[in-house]
Amino acid sequence: MTTDTTPTVATAAPVAVRRDSTPTEPHQLNFGRVLAWTFMILVILVSLFPFYWMLRTALSSNNALYAGSKSLLPVQTSWGGFERVFGLQTGQEAIDAGGAGQAINFWRYLFNSVVVATLITAGQVFFSAMAAYAFARLQWKHRERVFAFFLAGLMIPAIFTLLPNFVLIKQLGLVDTLLGIALPTMFMTPFAVFFLRQFFLGISREVEEAALMDGASKVRVFFRLILPMSVAPITTLAILTYIAAWNEYFWALMVSYTDKSRVLTVALGVFKSQTPQTGPDWSGLMAATLVAALPMLLLFMLFAKRIVNSIGFSGIK
Amino acid sequence: MTTFRQRIRTAAVALLTVSALTACGGAGGGSANGTIEYWLWDSAQQPGYQKCADAFEKANPGLRIHISQYGWDAYWSKLTAGFIADTAPDVFTDHLAKFAQYVDLKVLRPLDDLGPTSDIKDGDYQQGLAQLWKGQDGKRYGAPKDWDTIAIFYDGAALKKAGVDPAQLQNLNWNPQDGGTFEKLVAHLTIDAKGVHGDEPGFDKKNVKTHGLASEGSGGGGWGQTQWSAFTGSAGWQATDKNPWGTRFNLDRPELQDTLSWYFGLVQKGYMPSYEEIGGANAIGTDKQIQSGTAAMGLSGSWMISTFSKLTDAGGKKLDIGIAPTPIGPTGKRASMFNGLADSVTTLSKQPESAAKWVKYLSGAECQNIIGQSGVVFPARPAGTDLAIAYNKNERKLDVTPFTQQVEQKTTFLFPVTTNAADIAALMAPRMDAVYIGSSPTTSLTKLNGQLNELFKVAQ
Amino acid sequence: MATTTSIGPVKAGPARKGPRDDTRLALLFILPALIGFGVFMVWPTLRGIYLSFTKFNLLTPPEFNGLDNYIRMVNDPVFWNALKVTLYYVVLNIGFQTVLALVIAVMMQRLTQRTWLRGIVLTPFLVSNVVAAMVFLWILDYQLGIGNTILAAVGIDRIPFLSSDAWVIPTIAFINVWRHVGYTALLIFAGLQTIPESVYEAGRIDGASEVRMFRSITVPLLRPILSLVLIITVVGSFQVFDTVAIATKGGPVDSSRVLQFYIYDVAFGRFQFGYASAMSVALLAVLVIVTFIQYRLTRAETSDLA
Repeated sequence: MTTDTTPTVATAAPVAVRRDSTPTEPHQLNFGRVLAWTFMILVILVSLFPFYWMLRTALSSNNALYAGSKSLLPVQTSWGGFERVFGLQTGQEAIDAGGAGQAINFWRYLFNSVVVATLITAGQVFFSAMAAYAFARLQWKHRERVFAFFLAGLMIPAIFTLLPNFVLIKQLGLVDTLLGIALPTMFMTPFAVFFLRQFFLGISREVEEAALMDGASKVRVFFRLILPMSVAPITTLAILTYIAAWNEYFWALMVSYTDKSRVLTVALGVFKSQTPQTGPDWSGLMAATLVAALPMLLLFMLFAKRIVNSIGFSGIK
Repeated sequence: MTTFRQRIRTAAVALLTVSALTACGGAGGGSANGTIEYWLWDSAQQPGYQKCADAFEKANPGLRIHISQYGWDAYWSKLTAGFIADTAPDVFTDHLAKFAQYVDLKVLRPLDDLGPTSDIKDGDYQQGLAQLWKGQDGKRYGAPKDWDTIAIFYDGAALKKAGVDPAQLQNLNWNPQDGGTFEKLVAHLTIDAKGVHGDEPGFDKKNVKTHGLASEGSGGGGWGQTQWSAFTGSAGWQATDKNPWGTRFNLDRPELQDTLSWYFGLVQKGYMPSYEEIGGANAIGTDKQIQSGTAAMGLSGSWMISTFSKLTDAGGKKLDIGIAPTPIGPTGKRASMFNGLADSVTTLSKQPESAAKWVKYLSGAECQNIIGQSGVVFPARPAGTDLAIAYNKNERKLDVTPFTQQVEQKTTFLFPVTTNAADIAALMAPRMDAVYIGSSPTTSLTKLNGQLNELFKVAQ
Repeated sequence: MATTTSIGPVKAGPARKGPRDDTRLALLFILPALIGFGVFMVWPTLRGIYLSFTKFNLLTPPEFNGLDNYIRMVNDPVFWNALKVTLYYVVLNIGFQTVLALVIAVMMQRLTQRTWLRGIVLTPFLVSNVVAAMVFLWILDYQLGIGNTILAAVGIDRIPFLSSDAWVIPTIAFINVWRHVGYTALLIFAGLQTIPESVYEAGRIDGASEVRMFRSITVPLLRPILSLVLIITVVGSFQVFDTVAIATKGGPVDSSRVLQFYIYDVAFGRFQFGYASAMSVALLAVLVIVTFIQYRLTRAETSDLA
């Protein structure tokens, strides 16, 4: 039953040179490959269908969605959902369309989201990298114990920290500020430290020792050698952190009170149900979701190639 | 070892004292610079209240109103966090299901103690509304802003197709034995996949296309307000021994258990959608069920009038929605739960007198008339109510008297206000769900009743 | 093989005895992280542990009440049910997700290395849990969802995905797999990239099949990364909350009332923060035990490889 795919698979093997991704040999069609591709296509379909459904819903007229639930195409195609996101509809128009009728200061929220996600990502990745280096490469007493302690932080349930952190942010006078939203995750997450430490441990010692031999300080080694060599995992981590920061809802909702600090996800909450008995403004909500995810999509498309390439190049030797 | 624990404890207590102090001392909260923070959850009501705010600011130079709106779920978590961290608004829209808890937690300011609101009179509002917002200490914690009752919304087209005269709906009756004319109508309006009506031979209850009656869930979280309260009410059942502030529950009574057996029995007969069909905890509302054609009629609240009046079919054509009163029950009368919202001032407000001024305005004739003319809810004052009735008649061509006649004919009963409201909902919701699903009999509510009564002992 | 040892990172750091002691430098390097860790994680946790021995309604000062909360917890059937439901969820979620992610990662490595494929698989991760839950709530609605409409069109009975006690946990697990599988696959893929092609070349020369190479090269060499991924995902999985809060609110009855949702409800809905803290301590204990076991197991196995 196990099909032998030996000779051809080599083509797809990861070698940096083959980044242009034009297969040099024709793929041999055999059962295993067909099966694998069928599986991948299924994965792709399942991954993307909900996005199509968001788009279809966003382009439908909200009041007609329930009556037209069986249609695969938008029902009563309208830009209303997107217009509500960008605040192009007047309050009454929006309410008549089943929306919230709130003024949406979209660009302001976008700006806030970018600031928060950037603060968190820059701080968290940099500080975590420093700590990870100390755990991976520096020699000091109690290193393993402190690391285990950090690792244990991974297990602290989020519910534990929510309330005390909120009170703390309030006492720091940071309620309703972007810094207040960013602060708790700006220094580290156990995951980031853990993740980077794993990669730093994999970096060959010989290179590092050669540099030290040449008289470089450990600080210099970290900045000039370790960091550049770890571009791939750091980029990967940064993107994941950015996405997580971008999507944070509950904490941002707690801290933000006015437009001053309102981020996109919180603003998006406006489209959710307003009273326990009324359903959400589905087309507005889906339009908002797509718009909020768009910067992430762009960012990812921009960097995806880079990740691949850098992994191909620096590939831990 | 003890020192370590003590240190933690001291620190924790210190941390908490800070917030407690600010909470009691009346410092912080809202904004200081003459801006009154006001919160509400229903976005449909925001334009109306913005108009009130504009008029208020004109009349009170130096005072500004900042309205924030958060969706239902976010609203309450944010409010809770606000009480803890001293970031709560000056004034917020309060709900009876939550109000008792806040009184217990001492985060609401008695309106009698504040100049502008000290002279609010019960008699200015629809009968019974203002009393709902008084605590066990007899003090007033909320100024009534609107009220709501329950009625039947129906799809005119579905009635026509089934050959039912809408006038028939004005005089329905029901009983827990055979369901009366109400169940007959529901059965007739139910149509299976092959087009067979629920009251015809060969009806396939497993494949129903249109249910005669919509369902909004088990009603465990809100005393069956839009589900079974109209039936238990007209069967003469009261949730507690007295209301508000009851001390014993009545879930062990046959009036309730028989009524619920009949009501949820409609699911087994295929006349009402099952828990699974309506999507469980996120039950899609009666409006959506009627709009999508899965139900022909259903019970819903007066706050939904504007939503129903805007329903369209897939082609964008407006549906012909009509309203009928709840059916007459074994007591020989109709019944509807009578509920309402109010505005409360928080203890965290730095400017309670100004906040009270705004509350006074919100509950006054001028603002309530503005709200009445917006046609979204029935204002608490009779004059405002009349304006809302007129708005619906003229602008929406909708007769809303099925809602108002319950008040005029005094067939309403009040939403049960008790202490431990949150615990009650947490215990009740899963048990009522089980009854709806059919995994527990209605007699299981007797045990639940015992648990609910226990809560009073713990609390006291 | 040299590579094997150098990527065996879960080993608690090679104890190469350096002549130098970097304590001061190390302190400097971990200082920012340590501050963040202490202030925003350790301190709240200690405070939570303290509060678990009190009666605390959030607004008035806590009163010490000894072990009352823990006694109540042991006798609370809803708590035990929540624990059971959570475990069931974790097993389903992690099992399904890890296998799927591993297969996808291998495909991304061996079948095609194209960037767009990785992009597509990661796309679901770009939306938040809240949004993912809402979209699926909409897609999987019993009567109006396109999912059931398609099932009905194909002639299969409609499935009450989120409203029957049999389906609800598998469905929630699926929703979260949908969102996270790309992320997990990417992490594993990054690990796969560290396996040098030469190992596969050698295998191929020996005439090993793709499946065999997966079993005897990929899996063993991937074990350190895989164990990292597992620890992370298991801990995350235990804390499932958003999806439940949005899609089911714990229902039907209690069949999706997972621990963190129950804790949240008790704390913020019912203002019993003392009891909620006690349950959080229990959750913390469960997580510590599970992680410890995982860490031990994977550590033991890596040493076999060297």
